[in-house]
Amino acid sequence: MTSHTSKTVFLLASFLALAAGDNTVYAESQTLGFAVTKWNTAMHETRFMDECPVGPNPGNWEIWESTLTPEERRAYEPIKINSFPPAFFRGANGEDVCEVPTSVQDPPLNVVEGKYGYGINLDGNTDGAATPKSCKHENFTSLNGETGVDNQMYRLMGCVEAWRSYGHIENNANGHRLSSGLGMILMEITGIDDLMNDDSVKVSFYRGVGSFTIDSEGRVLPFTSYEIDHDNGVPRYDDRVSGKIVGGILTTDSADVNLPHFGNYQYIRQLIRDMQIEVDITPDSGKTSGMVYGYYGVEQFYSYVRGMLRNFPNRHKYSCSPIYVAAHDLADGHPDPETGECTTLSSAFKFEAVRAFINHPDVEKLASTSDNSGDLAMNRR
Amino acid sequence: MNVSTFSPPKLSLLTIIGVSAICLSACGPSEPITEGPPPDVRRLTEDQYKNIISDVFGASIIVGGRFDTPVRTEGLQAVGARNATVTAAALSQYDEMARSISEQVMSEPSRQFLVPCAMPGQVAFDESCTTQFISKTGRLLFRRPLTDDETSARTDVVRETTQRLGSFKEGLSSGLASLLVSPQFLFIADVVEDDPDNPGTSRLNAFSKATRLSFFLWNRSPDNTLLQAAETGDLHSEDGLEGQVERMMASPLLKAGVRSFFSDLLEFSEFDFLEKDSLIYPAFGAGAVRDAQEQTLRTITDHVVTKDKDYRDLFTTRDTFMTSTLGMVYRVQVKARPGTWEPYQFAPDDPRIGIQGHLSFLALNSHPGRSSPTLRGKAIRNMLLCQQVPDPPPDVDFSGFNDPNSPSKTAKERLTAHSTSPACAGCHRITDPIGLALEKFDGAGQFRQTENGAPIDTSGDLDGIDYADSKGLGLALRDNPATTKCLINRLYAYGSGNSMSSRSEWMTYLEDRFTADGYRITSLMKRISTSNTFYAVSAPDMSGETIETAANNAAID
Repeated sequence: MTSHTSKTVFLLASFLALAAGDNTVYAESQTLGFAVTKWNTAMHETRFMDECPVGPNPGNWEIWESTLTPEERRAYEPIKINSFPPAFFRGANGEDVCEVPTSVQDPPLNVVEGKYGYGINLDGNTDGAATPKSCKHENFTSLNGETGVDNQMYRLMGCVEAWRSYGHIENNANGHRLSSGLGMILMEITGIDDLMNDDSVKVSFYRGVGSFTIDSEGRVLPFTSYEIDHDNGVPRYDDRVSGKIVGGILTTDSADVNLPHFGNYQYIRQLIRDMQIEVDITPDSGKTSGMVYGYYGVEQFYSYVRGMLRNFPNRHKYSCSPIYVAAHDLADGHPDPETGECTTLSSAFKFEAVRAFINHPDVEKLASTSDNSGDLAMNRR
Repeated sequence: MNVSTFSPPKLSLLTIIGVSAICLSACGPSEPITEGPPPDVRRLTEDQYKNIISDVFGASIIVGGRFDTPVRTEGLQAVGARNATVTAAALSQYDEMARSISEQVMSEPSRQFLVPCAMPGQVAFDESCTTQFISKTGRLLFRRPLTDDETSARTDVVRETTQRLGSFKEGLSSGLASLLVSPQFLFIADVVEDDPDNPGTSRLNAFSKATRLSFFLWNRSPDNTLLQAAETGDLHSEDGLEGQVERMMASPLLKAGVRSFFSDLLEFSEFDFLEKDSLIYPAFGAGAVRDAQEQTLRTITDHVVTKDKDYRDLFTTRDTFMTSTLGMVYRVQVKARPGTWEPYQFAPDDPRIGIQGHLSFLALNSHPGRSSPTLRGKAIRNMLLCQQVPDPPPDVDFSGFNDPNSPSKTAKERLTAHSTSPACAGCHRITDPIGLALEKFDGAGQFRQTENGAPIDTSGDLDGIDYADSKGLGLALRDNPATTKCLINRLYAYGSGNSMSSRSEWMTYLEDRFTADGYRITSLMKRISTSNTFYAVSAPDMSGETIETAANNAAID
């Protein structure tokens, strides 16, 4: 290479680094890591809840109370709302209504009836008609005006206040993850030749072990190094998907991806079918946000709802049975080959992440040691 | 070997060159005769005090309390200790610390190891035990054997307290506390004697010589072996001194001494007052402050002691150590688990080289919310080149420089405008070109490409050597003759408590030897600590006052 050429390459590299606004020093072959710090169901929420014309859904307590006579209500008055078994065990035969959601016939769930929603067209059509890979459903229009947006998860949960942005469920889960480090999603982008535009990169998803590094203001600090959770050198989560970068925005192809999730005292291995991701990977601050689109299993979702503390439906105003019924009614993806009933809900999730370094297990070192002490997360499966 | 085929080895050219090289380094000119300064008194530094307590009573003894603010003279607290006194408040603190330490020493299980003769619950005074304890401990604390009067005075304290409180343990505790507040412990006093080899002249006595040597190499009191060498007079012989120096330089404690010197040189005591805006630099928290100092000291000791490399390469080395906490600020991947260290090498294309590229230097010599080319340039001039840059005049107008609405986006642009003032130009001309080379590191030492969206120009010059960036600065610093002169100057002053000024022949001698020794600090330390000049002292002119009464007077100043 001539000195003139090398100077040109250097200047070009400098220009690109400046254009990216990135103050990190990158090696020639780039790998970028991110740790997800916040995860929410993407809800389009209007100020006066116009998308929920019937209003927010009642909680388990209200539904139970509505079945009581005035005399019964007076008799129950001194009882505290949090610890009141009759409200939970009100199935026809005394069943727990979250464990056996079909044991009662609660009023149907108030679902979202608005026009707009976050998401993308996952099934390829814009009229909501059934396809070989989807069931009939109503579509949303994106806030950018794109039609055919599939997001039945929003339709299902958008009028349940506990799941909305101010509600307890997802805020509580985010808080649990930040304080414990459990369910930490690590995302690693490899094979980056050009941070701004690259038509072929690989994106891998892992579970991180360890704690987030948090500053005195409670913010997660970027550029921390995190270990991958592994079993004797084999990552417990290791799904990969192809992607591309356009203008600094990473988008991926569609693939089934397992992601860890922890919150509300429970851990779930969440499988997102046909998952796609969209995220800006060039933030100057080391912090970014993005979207995840895909299909979320109905049973997987309800398992999460069912697993929450028994006082949650009373305290945070939701009821298991209507959610269970509506989730099956609204499911729009992955029809069961035998019954034809759809098994997944089209979904969109917002996430926030920070730049991170991802330490892969040292397989050679593990092989040379008899104990597998690197396996930190055995108790977190 | 078949004798019939044996032939004597021939001197090859390589052998001759090798022998010549050895002679150049070891058989150089002899040390010039240098007159020493008058004897002096230095107050123990905080680190020295703590090291002594740890060495004598064990690492489990906690030294609580605040020490007086150290005085820095000619760039070093070790030299400033000459001018340090003990205020009434500090005396009170010393007293508190002495009582606390004594109480801990007399508590189980420390007592069993340190005071074997005292029985728990004993109420009667035991003179034999007291004398044994006071003599043994006092020798280590005073860095010399106690005189009979000193032992007797402490024994009386133990006797009276035992009788008054009905507890021998309390009595011993009081006796120990009285040693710990004594000026003979708190001050390092040069004690001189007539030099029998050179009648009419003076020399440090053997214990003062041992003390100077020990604080220089280890930053702690002489150990038992060194005190024995002083007691036998072996330390006054050339072989005896060399033997002790060899032994001490082979000790792991040498690293502690080197760390102490560089911690003083780089003004790490200022970290106690360092503040950073957590909104601007959220990653630079308390952990980073702690690890940043340790990183630099580890790098230095690894480079100059473990690897015994050229001192000048400290300004160009990419080798360092890293923790996960530092990794966040440096924005590099770290595999070490939290709280542990791992060797780390900055990549060849990384703009960060040398210890002047460490967070410790960059963050310490910055403002709470922004970098400071002037402070950084001044620090390099003062600390590493021994060139005194005066403080800014009190009436200097910073409004233009600090104006948030200034059209000048980078520090270089703002400084250019600011330093057009004749009152400011003189100093800024010698500091800013150095500091601006480090402008791609923000106020916490984090790398950045731009400032306020504008590209940063890191070009500048150091004493006529032009460079384009921080790497160039590192090289210019490495090759600047003042860099090595400054180290020699500071190292000698650190060990002796005296300035190198007026010792030009000695300085020239050390410079030549340092060069011949490949700029290795260990060689320089050995050469200084085995020299006559290091211990040279002129006759004191105390006008009837002894050096020890001077120490007493300083203690109540």
